[in-house]
Amino acid sequence: MADIVDIAVGAGSFNTLVAAVQAAGLVETLKSPGPFTVFAPNDEAFAKLPPGTIQTLLQNIPQLARILTYHVVAGKLTQADLATVDSVTSVEGSAIRIDCSDGFEVKNATVLAPDIEADNGVIHVIDTVILMG
Amino acid sequence: MTTTLQKTKLPPSQHEFSEVIHRLEAGGAMIPDTPENLMQIIGIWKAYAVPMDFYWRDLLYIGERVFLEPFPFFKYFLPQEYLDLHNHYAGDDADLRVWRGEATAHPELLEFMEKGETGKIPKLLHHLWHDRVNMEFAEACMRAMLWHRNMYAPVNQFDPYLDSDEYKANADKAIKAYFKGNPLMLGIHKLFPEMFLEQCRQASYYSNLGLFWEVMAPVFFEVSDLYDEGKITTVPEAMNFLVNGIFAIAGRPIYHHAYIRGECYEIIPKSKGFTWLYEAALPYVEAVFYRTAPFRGTKSYNAQANEVPSEQKDFHYGVLYADKFPVGTAGIPPTLLMQDMLHFLPPYLKEFYAQRCRGEDDVLNQIAVTFQRSMYCVTSAVFQALRTALLYPLDDTNPKHLKANRAFFEAQIDRFCRPEYGMRDAARLRNIQTADYR
Repeated sequence: MADIVDIAVGAGSFNTLVAAVQAAGLVETLKSPGPFTVFAPNDEAFAKLPPGTIQTLLQNIPQLARILTYHVVAGKLTQADLATVDSVTSVEGSAIRIDCSDGFEVKNATVLAPDIEADNGVIHVIDTVILMG
Repeated sequence: MTTTLQKTKLPPSQHEFSEVIHRLEAGGAMIPDTPENLMQIIGIWKAYAVPMDFYWRDLLYIGERVFLEPFPFFKYFLPQEYLDLHNHYAGDDADLRVWRGEATAHPELLEFMEKGETGKIPKLLHHLWHDRVNMEFAEACMRAMLWHRNMYAPVNQFDPYLDSDEYKANADKAIKAYFKGNPLMLGIHKLFPEMFLEQCRQASYYSNLGLFWEVMAPVFFEVSDLYDEGKITTVPEAMNFLVNGIFAIAGRPIYHHAYIRGECYEIIPKSKGFTWLYEAALPYVEAVFYRTAPFRGTKSYNAQANEVPSEQKDFHYGVLYADKFPVGTAGIPPTLLMQDMLHFLPPYLKEFYAQRCRGEDDVLNQIAVTFQRSMYCVTSAVFQALRTALLYPLDDTNPKHLKANRAFFEAQIDRFCRPEYGMRDAARLRNIQTADYR
């Protein structure tokens, strides 16, 4: 099996995410044993952000890293694990609302593909970039 | 006024401001979409942006250079370096070009600083004759942010950081460097270690607000230019321009660097990851649009009278609640801003005021009411930006998502309906629904 980064690179639909993770210098972290749960926005999710948002973040790496670490939770949490909780605390420090009552929703994003297993954790693909607050 | 009920897939809202809720759900603003409203809000944004161009430069100058000066007599005298400072969001070398104009100080501002209302006299005389930009207003906004702590917690990390050991160590280094060779001040620092530290926190907020307004000035200049070119024709278009501006620059860093004898002290480094949206914009909106401090001229601070709330979260003296009719009288702080904007009104707005109420005689009041209308539009942009970031698109097909959006909008409008301390009577949301509030 491959780690979280390799799976994202291999999938081909996470080009923006992978570029952002590389720019923010988080590759090594996400290749470490972890384990992590990553809510991974696909390319369409990033494309929904208004123009300029990504450009400003790419110019400011610590700020970009903060947004990205909001998408990561410590520990390996599958959909079944998440169904038992209302919220989880991200690596960034803020809470992420979880709603499994009707489908599988993370904050205001819907999970498109849950439980993609990796060596060092699990990936849930989401359709919207989630933000703190 | 247009109702947009047919676009709403949910049953009609039962809220007392259901019309406003439906308008927000249809992508509109709290203020009705009429050509007169659009003309007023764009005109006043332009008039606001010019003094704001001075405010942000001077705020950064004070936070970075004046810093802990015990006798800051000349803190409002901007050195050339800060007039030439390039705005990061205007000009050819912008990080992200929002305004197509120049990155240095606005020409209308420079002209006013040179000539003022009186004529071409030395800067010091302009200042003593009070023919100048009312920088005290910007400082009042800064102090509102400093005093209303824990706003937008826990996502806003700026405020807690000011109490951290890391911040204290950074500040201590800068304080000692600033007073190097001054045994008196260093002695005071040793005796009262909290004193200059608190001054340093204030300087950090100078920087915070300066960095916030550095973004807003070019946004307002650009929206005004687009209006003049005929490219903005409705209130929702103007509001959406702000929403896009908020998103585009949401991730810019908020920091505090002090420059002491040519050396840069990173009191709050950029690497903390503090962002414009979470650490400046949202706390600013809460502190200045909603809360601020009770006007000395309208409220009694008498503790027995119980007029002023004991909890800061109940403060309701911001621009959205302010009574604008006593502007120009004693004890009404927004007068300072209205006087500043008076100098930079676009011709169409001057003409508009001349034909109304008492013409030029009560122009400060007319400006104040227009400004209040425009700030309801800015607040609407904040609602829409938060809704976009944290909730769902307006055309979402899932009724559960639409309900969540509605609950969010209703909760925001509820803040204008609370009965405590006469908050609902103070809120001007009802007034701005009609054109005859002026």
